[in-house]
Amino acid sequence: MSLGVLEEETFCHCCHQLLQQSEQLRDGWTWESVQGSQEGYLRKTVLRSAVINSHPVWNQEESSSDSKTHTSCHSWPDQQGQEKEQCVVDEDDGVCVVPEGNSQVLQYEYHILYSSSYSTPVLYFRASTLEGRSLSLEEVWSSVHPNFKTRLLNNPLSTITQQEHPLLGQPFFMLHPCRTHEFMRPVLQSAQDQRGQVNYMLTWLSVVGPLVGLEVPLNYNFKLQNAIQYYTLTSPQT
Amino acid sequence: MASDTKEAVSSTADLKLQFAPFSSALEAGFWHQLTQKKLNDYRLDESAKYIKGYYYNGDAVGLPTRLTLEFSAFDVDGPTPARCCPAVGMLYNTNTLDAFKTTDKKALLEKEAKEIWDAIQSGAAVKDPSLLCRFILLTFADLKKYHFYYWFCFPALCFPEGIKIVQQPSVLEQVFSAKQIAALQEAYDGLCMKRGTTAVSYFLMKYTDDTVQLAPLQDWDTFFTDTKKVTVGVYDPCTLSQHPGWPLRNLLVLLANQWGSKLDIVEVLCFRDRTLQGSRSIQHSVILQLKLPELPSNSACPKSVGWEKNPKGAMGPRMVNLSECMDPKRLAESSVDLNLKLMRWRLVPSLDLDKVVKHKVSSPRCWDSRLQLAFCYIGWGVRHITFVDNAKISYSNPVRQPLYEFEDCLGGGKSKAVAAVERLTKIFPGVKAEGYNMSIPMPGHPVNFSQATLSQAQRDVEQLEKLISEHDVVFLLMDTRESRWLPTVIAGCKRKLVVNAALGFDTFVVMRHGLKKPPVSQNVSARTDSSPSCSSTSSSSSTPAGSVTSVPVSSLFSNIPGHKLGCYFCNDVVAPGDSTRDRTLDQQCTVSRPGLAMIAGALAVEMMVSILQHSEGGYAVASSSDDRMNEPPTSLGLVPHQIRGFLSRFDNVLPASLAFDKCTACSPIVLDHYEREGFNFLSKVFNSSHSFLEDLTGLTLLHQETQAAEEGT
Repeated sequence: MSLGVLEEETFCHCCHQLLQQSEQLRDGWTWESVQGSQEGYLRKTVLRSAVINSHPVWNQEESSSDSKTHTSCHSWPDQQGQEKEQCVVDEDDGVCVVPEGNSQVLQYEYHILYSSSYSTPVLYFRASTLEGRSLSLEEVWSSVHPNFKTRLLNNPLSTITQQEHPLLGQPFFMLHPCRTHEFMRPVLQSAQDQRGQVNYMLTWLSVVGPLVGLEVPLNYNFKLQNAIQYYTLTSPQT
Repeated sequence: MASDTKEAVSSTADLKLQFAPFSSALEAGFWHQLTQKKLNDYRLDESAKYIKGYYYNGDAVGLPTRLTLEFSAFDVDGPTPARCCPAVGMLYNTNTLDAFKTTDKKALLEKEAKEIWDAIQSGAAVKDPSLLCRFILLTFADLKKYHFYYWFCFPALCFPEGIKIVQQPSVLEQVFSAKQIAALQEAYDGLCMKRGTTAVSYFLMKYTDDTVQLAPLQDWDTFFTDTKKVTVGVYDPCTLSQHPGWPLRNLLVLLANQWGSKLDIVEVLCFRDRTLQGSRSIQHSVILQLKLPELPSNSACPKSVGWEKNPKGAMGPRMVNLSECMDPKRLAESSVDLNLKLMRWRLVPSLDLDKVVKHKVSSPRCWDSRLQLAFCYIGWGVRHITFVDNAKISYSNPVRQPLYEFEDCLGGGKSKAVAAVERLTKIFPGVKAEGYNMSIPMPGHPVNFSQATLSQAQRDVEQLEKLISEHDVVFLLMDTRESRWLPTVIAGCKRKLVVNAALGFDTFVVMRHGLKKPPVSQNVSARTDSSPSCSSTSSSSSTPAGSVTSVPVSSLFSNIPGHKLGCYFCNDVVAPGDSTRDRTLDQQCTVSRPGLAMIAGALAVEMMVSILQHSEGGYAVASSSDDRMNEPPTSLGLVPHQIRGFLSRFDNVLPASLAFDKCTACSPIVLDHYEREGFNFLSKVFNSSHSFLEDLTGLTLLHQETQAAEEGT
């Protein structure tokens, strides 16, 4: 087994371990299997309020006319319709006034899949408003923390790409895995040198996750220390 | 938040309990799935369908109280996410927007409220409390525009006079000791485990100073021995400190209906259970002390409310436009653009894409494989493409040109330019392609047979002039030499970038024409004064070797600035004429190795992109083969004048050459005549033999001088 390469079997093992820990930590990871196949993916959803720039600079020409209607509510143009809606409104004094923030609430959905071409895990994600409108790449970029943004743009290591989800067939964003080996190798090497043990997936996730707002609690590492099952680099089975 | 505390301060005597309504939350996958269901299963069926949502009590402060529907919402028997409570709903998907509008919302709400009321009265809701938490979703999916209209309703039964708060809502940690809180957490987990779930929506509760006991709703009679004061727990998705969430509402009606007569004060635990960074807490749960009013003694269903307000805060539906993420046309467009963006991020950070994308390209009468060029254009994000052609598609075309299909050849064949546009739009709808079926008048091909042919030629020239001035780059990809003449002159005059590609059997040339400096008004007038004299006196100043030798030898082929570069005709000492006359059929149509057109075409597009990337554009100094080792002038590398390729040797060279002052297409005298006389000058060129242009430019004299020099030796 060459260093930095993750075999599919090991991937499954790591997922299993991560799921166990997630269960203990209530971190929300679940395993979604695809019907009629053995394949599946790790899934987690996170809700976050963020300020997004819904007028991307790039496609301004094309989107300016449409973007207005993205989140607008619909008002009935005809008088008849308005009268009808009146009937629906029954006075309800049992509703509290919910304070509204300036920022928008976004739903992030993260998937971890195994890529047999790259022999690495790949992080897929998408973000949508509460109406279910997926964010465009520009909007996703605008929600990435500025500190990471400059780094990402200068560093092709984990560029965000749009791709079809290999199992669901829906458009997703992904962090491109082409350099995953490169940044994983030193970590695994040092772990091997120190005869330490490391969960490939956790290490990888803690590197790539924060770039797209996915935090990995430190407790994972703590739990790992106490975990009985380890993924040891020196295991010769694979 | 400020309003909350204000409310709390006002006298508790007549303080009414207010609930935080659900906000609908739809995941992107939901609309995808609804689209699939509508297209494949429901079709025109408007009847109500069961769907499933869920709510969660572990949100961070500040997030709205949500009822979430994901792509799995249509699988009612599917699993609910861990530690979430399910809610079953009815989906009413209408076929028309009109039906959506005219649906009787009040009736829908009352129907659903009645079912909840029936479940409460019959006691079914005691056994299965999830019957209390239901919703209605009214939708209309406009699948042509990918606009989705929707309106949620979360039916809640109301007490006519509201519910009185006996004591201000307090946070659990102010009421319970740490020990009690730990015991509660343990008891809740135990109840979940006993019931084989990860969340319990409603439960009963008893506690002492150091113990907490929980039980399901149906155990009421055995669990509570003293009903003076009972405590019920509700899984509460709200995060406000002074208000419970919506699910409590119908529970209170259930309590009043089932046990109202025995109850005095009801204590409610709004159970909230969140985990941050791996550490769990429930101490922010809220405790309420309520006095339940009596329900009207008759068994009629109480008043119900629940339609969700839209983002404007008005009672009305919502609309979401998903064309960008669902419309296949838009998706194709964005993925083509995305590829370009990635290329920029990954490979060439300084690439100025807008420069390329905003350019319009016109390809007058190109040879057949030019359509493959279209793919290159699109690949680079060029969106405005205009084809000019006068040919029809023949049966041999489709096999060589993927843009044409067999059907296009039938019935005499479609016009190539038009068919190309149709096909291109099919392949990539985002392209703004236009096709013009027209002929380009050529020198040596007379147009003066009749008034009709002459005026047709004039219209064609005008059309071509208009097209060239509307576009940024002109590609000359014709079969014959003479057909390139008119566009060369017009583009030269209008100072448009011209990329020219020409094929031999196994050789090709791809070149950019020298881009003349913009005309300065004074210079032009000075030149017009001098040029007629120049031609009339047969220009004794012109030397036999032409202007090539008149510049210093040191800079002969290196560092030629763009405005001094030659055009396609500069290297010729013969004016263009009818090159198809006196030739056999196989000579008339250019026979080339099949791959040559694609190679040359692709190089032509790539050359254009490199030129546009150069800060000086068409005025860029020409790179030559010698510059291959030097620092490239643009992020994409060299900007040559010409690429000459030899397929037999699989070799390309990059020569550069100067403009020829006696050129039949780009010399000042030709441009000048065209500018001044317009179509009159052109018609002379079309109708005369090739000596007309040669006489004008001084080539005739050059020939004579050369001949004289040869004879003299």
